[in-house]
Amino acid sequence: MVPNQEDAALEREFDALMAMAGAEVPADRKAGILAGYKDLKRMTALLRQPRTEAAEPSNIYSLTGFRRMRQP
Amino acid sequence: MSAPEAVHELSIAEAGRRLRAGTLSPSGLTEHCLSRIAALDPLLNAFVLVTRERALADADRAERELKGGVDRGPMHGIPYALKDIYATAGIRTTCHSKLLIDNVPSEDCAVEAKFKAAGAVLLGKLATHEFAIGGPSFDLPFPPARNPWNLEHFTGGSSSGSAAAVAAGLVRTAMGSDTGGSIRGPAFYCGTVGLKPTYGLVSRRGVFPLSYTLDHCGPLTWTVEDAALTLEVIAGFDPLDPASADIPLPHFTSGLGQDLAGLKLAYPRSFFATQEGMTEEVVASLDAAAQQIANLGAKVEEVELPDFELFNACGRVILIAEAYAIHEKNLLTRPLDYARYTYQRMMVGAMLSAADLTQAFRLRRELSLIINAHILGTYDAIITANGPTGAPRFDAFPADVPPKTTLQTMPFNVTGNPVLAIPTGFAKGGLPLGMQIVGRAFDEPTVLRIAAAYEAASGWINKRPALDRPIAVGGAALHAPARSHQ
Repeated sequence: MVPNQEDAALEREFDALMAMAGAEVPADRKAGILAGYKDLKRMTALLRQPRTEAAEPSNIYSLTGFRRMRQP
Repeated sequence: MSAPEAVHELSIAEAGRRLRAGTLSPSGLTEHCLSRIAALDPLLNAFVLVTRERALADADRAERELKGGVDRGPMHGIPYALKDIYATAGIRTTCHSKLLIDNVPSEDCAVEAKFKAAGAVLLGKLATHEFAIGGPSFDLPFPPARNPWNLEHFTGGSSSGSAAAVAAGLVRTAMGSDTGGSIRGPAFYCGTVGLKPTYGLVSRRGVFPLSYTLDHCGPLTWTVEDAALTLEVIAGFDPLDPASADIPLPHFTSGLGQDLAGLKLAYPRSFFATQEGMTEEVVASLDAAAQQIANLGAKVEEVELPDFELFNACGRVILIAEAYAIHEKNLLTRPLDYARYTYQRMMVGAMLSAADLTQAFRLRRELSLIINAHILGTYDAIITANGPTGAPRFDAFPADVPPKTTLQTMPFNVTGNPVLAIPTGFAKGGLPLGMQIVGRAFDEPTVLRIAAAYEAASGWINKRPALDRPIAVGGAALHAPARSHQ
């Protein structure tokens, strides 16, 4: 089956990224990684939404609960 | 002549009472478990290594100590087993991988050191998905574990052997690890209890990492009480684990046996019920469980959570980034030494950008605040689904492309909260269904209290796989066990 333009572009992008990573992907394992890459692109798009300044990577966990558990 | 007593059905607490009363010996209990493993594990593939000599030596020591008045606590003389990513000094630890097939660590992981100090009895090392990811894979040195409820079905993963061994009554408590649901998924599919403790409560030192900021260590057990007693042994600050929390430890059994009066529980029905592939029988099972918990005295209210896909994307991006970082060198130089699914899942990490990972960590902060400050600032716990359907058949997995994960477990690896997976009934085909009970950070006693009350009221735990009857196994997929014995 001939891949559509979108799939062909995705595959070219995939090949370039794998080359940059220095990976020689065994041919019979490529389809599974390519499917995973397609899903990754869907997920990374979800991550890019407006955030507040408070949403920074440090201090991921709220310490409120920790303080509540501490004994006097 | 009467039939030999099924001592594997004794809870950890009851076995402990009998060990102290002298009506059961650690050696007798251990021999019984080893006999069950010999009889049943060739069908289940739960163990990759049975440490028979070590187990008998542990049991003998426990027997002498208990007789001599030395009592090391609730696990003294009680058998346990470890997922094969837990380092054990002098005992092969393979991560179920060709890459570590001859790996014999020189030091114990922190959890194994705690079990040893508690006088427990190591039965062996358990099957896992390779490096706790991928699976189910038939292109590894050991076959995948099989579901004791139906051997043609998947156990879930990655703590596959842990769930199969506990569900089959080979051992009452087995350690698993959970990076995106690897304790709770197998517990759900195999009908056991699975406890992912709060991030930082149980040391991960010496457990082969998959994702530094998402990995949790915890037990799979037959009952909630077994989980609480195991946690009494394995929890605690470890200065050599960078994520370990230095906090006072509660008594994890303190809430067991109480009703649920005074508790307020959040029930995010739309969060799970609208998930793609969600089955009516899972939703009905959750609705019935929520009603039963309300009948036990808790106030249960429906709430809204952010879209599951946000949690999932956040967790998956972090997981594959961290896993790729850990395995990068071997993935690039020894691709064919990994199983197909393992390699395919991990290699996706090579295509992430720094911005992707940073955005995931920013979202993680936001989602953690919503769960911890907003939802659990108002409610004592959350009850939600574990997955949309019971365990799939092995032959439903595609050959070339790793299957998509459908479990709803990742949100609480993202947030780090304690979660207990517990059975809520059975699907029409006889496979277990279940739910998750999510608590505040380091509030395992409340999670265990809710779970124990529900377990006692529902009675699901009393139904076990019929493995003691002759088993008819069809299909050619069953492999001869490739395990070795120490």
